Amino acid sequence: MEFAEFAARAEEIEAEPADLEIVALVRDLLASADDDLETVTRFVQGRVFPAHDSTTLDIGPSLCYEAIAKAAGRNVSAADVEDRLAEYGEIGAVAASYDFGGQQGLAAFGGGGQSALTVGEVDETLQDLAAAAGSGSQDKKLDILFGLFNRAESPEARYLARLVLSEMRIGVGEGTVRDATAEAFDVPVDAVARALQVSNDYGHVAAVAREEGEGGLEDIHLEVGRPVQAMLAQAGTVTDALDDWEAAAVETKFDGARVQVHYDGESVSLYSRNMEDVTDPLPEIVAFVEDHLSAPVILDGEVVAVDEDGDPLPFQEVLRRFRRKHDVAKTAEDVELELNAFDCLHADGEDLLDAPLTDRHDRLESVLEPDGTAAVSTLTISDDADGIAAVEADALDAGHEGIMLKNPDAAYTPGDRGKNWLKRKPDVETLDLVVTGAEWGEGRRATFLGTFELSVRTSDGYETIGKVATGITDEELADLTDRLEPHILAEDGTDVDIDPAVVFEVGYEEIQTSPTYSSGYALRFPRFLSVREDKAVDDADSLERVERLVDGQ
Amino acid sequence: MFNAIVSADTLRTTLDSVSVLVDECKIHLNEDGIEIRAVDPANVGMVDLSLSAEAFESYETDGGLIGVNLSRLEDIAGMAGSDQLVHLELDEETRKLHIQIDGLEYTLALIDPDSIRQEPDLPDLDLPANVVIEGRDIDRAVKAADMVSDHIALGVDDADELFYVDAEGDTDDVHFELDREDLIDLTPGNARSLFSLDYLKDMNKAIPKDAEVSMELGEEFPVKMHFDIAEGQGKVTFMLAPRIQSD
Repeated sequence: MEFAEFAARAEEIEAEPADLEIVALVRDLLASADDDLETVTRFVQGRVFPAHDSTTLDIGPSLCYEAIAKAAGRNVSAADVEDRLAEYGEIGAVAASYDFGGQQGLAAFGGGGQSALTVGEVDETLQDLAAAAGSGSQDKKLDILFGLFNRAESPEARYLARLVLSEMRIGVGEGTVRDATAEAFDVPVDAVARALQVSNDYGHVAAVAREEGEGGLEDIHLEVGRPVQAMLAQAGTVTDALDDWEAAAVETKFDGARVQVHYDGESVSLYSRNMEDVTDPLPEIVAFVEDHLSAPVILDGEVVAVDEDGDPLPFQEVLRRFRRKHDVAKTAEDVELELNAFDCLHADGEDLLDAPLTDRHDRLESVLEPDGTAAVSTLTISDDADGIAAVEADALDAGHEGIMLKNPDAAYTPGDRGKNWLKRKPDVETLDLVVTGAEWGEGRRATFLGTFELSVRTSDGYETIGKVATGITDEELADLTDRLEPHILAEDGTDVDIDPAVVFEVGYEEIQTSPTYSSGYALRFPRFLSVREDKAVDDADSLERVERLVDGQ
Repeated sequence: MFNAIVSADTLRTTLDSVSVLVDECKIHLNEDGIEIRAVDPANVGMVDLSLSAEAFESYETDGGLIGVNLSRLEDIAGMAGSDQLVHLELDEETRKLHIQIDGLEYTLALIDPDSIRQEPDLPDLDLPANVVIEGRDIDRAVKAADMVSDHIALGVDDADELFYVDAEGDTDDVHFELDREDLIDLTPGNARSLFSLDYLKDMNKAIPKDAEVSMELGEEFPVKMHFDIAEGQGKVTFMLAPRIQSD
């Protein structure tokens, strides 16, 4: 497929407001993708690699702006590109606004001339780009990217730029591609959904659906070494759990980082919740798995940091390790990590996703027997609210975050934030914070302010403590924009400075120390609750109060 | 089999000519010397280089092809003083290159040549104008143009018999011309093409200031620049595709 055709179809999809029509357009796109089916399936979602593959293009916005400037022609600089970005609000429109192709290729003089870009060629070139590493690789990436843009006509440039920066945003979600795959190749949508859950590879699933139909999809299983999406939990109460289920399975909620353990009988791979490979930063978890497991398995669990006494340390200690690429041994000495396994997705050739939680938990214990069972979470089945409260009190006393409530009969549904897992956490107080900055949104939200910078009051001004972008509806965004726009002090690109005038009530889960913000603190999971109409900026919470809250945590 | 001794200076000049365009390349080991041909990732600039066996202190091979990481090899060559000798020996078994500089020994892992971008075909161009110019004059022209613009026009005025350079910036312009007297030689013909300075600056870095550069030019055609390295025992050709001269 020529990349121009893909771009034309993406344009059509983007212009279509109705979800069902979008599915039909994606269906038609997939049905006519021929040899490029796998690539097209990824591209339409703005992906270059399958979801389970943590390879990235590693192209920052500035490198992309530079490549666009270079292809845009005479005396256009990356700063000019950024100016247009502030004006248009998204990189695709910027790329499309330039007339690329000023630089001719040598091939144009070697007979035959330059051919049009194909989807396959773009994919291959982007794979080369991802493979470039080491010294001088930034220059090479710039050259490669420039070469691509230089050959792109306006609509191609729009989607190329968005693809490169992972900002496709044409309204095609995972559900769209799932439904379109089913429609295009006449297979049941449930079979597609199941195959996607276990493989996380939309391209592969589409190809199998086309070539082998429903039977082929059923043959797609979990594979050790290929991460799946983690099953997620909603916030919920004990009452919710006991209303919906006969009994609840109660577990300690660890303040750690989710990790998926893959062991093929010889080597171990560990993946984060985002399916990134985190094997190298976690050598002691690797060693634990090697020592205590014998059969191939896929386990789900939480990695927690503990101090010398075995008491849990805050989540950010774990995070430090996850992000650590160098000096792993040194940080391993500073922070001890432990595995708390709570689920078993696959054991010894058998997929267990459809088995009830209690069966999977039994299997988890048996694979870690005899001496690894200390790493298995304790599952208490109870239908008594007071009993559950006691478990919770114990968990909190031991320094953990709270408890999880799970439906004992439920299957493991990867990527699903369903009602079968609930996280019950003690409530925290909210903070009233002053808005001191914001960023203009992108795409559909280009005319709204989003991502609000929040500050606490100090004796002589304001210090930043975080940014909030979640919990806000489109309607609220419009209202907040109207409210804040008169207070804009200065704009730099999409960044906006705002005169302190408006107070937000903000919920959060924890206050962490952080070098990122001038207050020295940051909020974990901040979410917008409301505008405090009744409060002036002088009534907002102070840094002192934040410090008191931190001390009390 | 490949076993050669070469002066650090010659090795560095050779590598620099190629590394301005690519960071990996294939080196053909022929009985009469080595050959390298490479094109940059955007297929805009090309280098064609040969270094004859006479440029080496000693040179032995029965042919072959190796792939190298140029910056790695340049770093190693940079460890030698300019009058020092570098001993290169290919280990066929391990596909590694043993490099010795006096007591210093470095084992360089080679790259599978199949994983390196395919070598370009040399377009066969018949360009009307030819200018023979000193490397330092190219350097002056490029530096002057770079002050105002990111592109540069190279041309020959057939009637007035001169070679000229134009660069137009947003506000300022640069014009630079050399007549027959200033040039080593001139074969007049109508020629003018526009080039990206990014590429020309990189190529300029690899052109020795005292080299005689033979520059072939046409009307909206690639430029070819030929010059010698290693006291005439090595030959380099750069080719650069033009920009479209719209407006």
